[in-house]
Amino acid sequence: MSDKDTPSDDQPIWHRDFPYEAIAEEEVTRREFTRYLVLGAGTMAAANVGLAMWTQLRSINLGEPRAIVALADVAIGDSYLFRYPSERDPAVLVRLGESEVVSFSQKCTHLGCVVFYQTDEQRWHCPCHNGNFDTRTGAVLSGPPPRPLGRINVEIRDDGQIWALGKSE
Amino acid sequence: MKTSERGRRISSAVALYVIILVAFQVFLITVAVEAIQTDHESLAWATAGVSVVLAGAAVAFLHYLRP
Repeated sequence: MSDKDTPSDDQPIWHRDFPYEAIAEEEVTRREFTRYLVLGAGTMAAANVGLAMWTQLRSINLGEPRAIVALADVAIGDSYLFRYPSERDPAVLVRLGESEVVSFSQKCTHLGCVVFYQTDEQRWHCPCHNGNFDTRTGAVLSGPPPRPLGRINVEIRDDGQIWALGKSE
Repeated sequence: MKTSERGRRISSAVALYVIILVAFQVFLITVAVEAIQTDHESLAWATAGVSVVLAGAAVAFLHYLRP
């Protein structure tokens, strides 16, 4: 056994048990490690671009005109839940008067919780973080939401049906 | 300072920088998911832009390492 092979106290235990050496061993290991990290960063960047494209595609779908519910089935002051423009998008309308109906996406613009109409307060309310929105415009009244609710254009047609005409951009 | 030791320190620093960039990328993923939930496309695109810039910075850092 030569002096080179003799274990010394300043070596880590694993190195005494497995005494192999390689040229620039640590540098190569770090480079490989960093390369994997960069690969991960690139993958996450690609995922972020994909998520942005998905969000854009969802926003492009403004919805086709379709009947929602008969006006007679919604009492004044009551709300009606439906899905628009797709089956994954919760929406809500409220009848404010004899022939006045407003409708909004039910997603809070803060973190996507479901908003509902508070009849006594006459406002849209998000219970998650106490966000409040104006009944007619959907504008933020208070709380953390950064943007107004997504508006859905509706009209009452001669056949007595309430029609959704599309989301406002 | 010996060249090998300097190189080792540089490679450690680069690895640390890249780890920080990857941590930011994880945070940006959560922001992008929030943007989807709230249909906030401008936030989603801003997040994607920053994420691509960070990935480019990570690639640039990788070039500082010796082959």
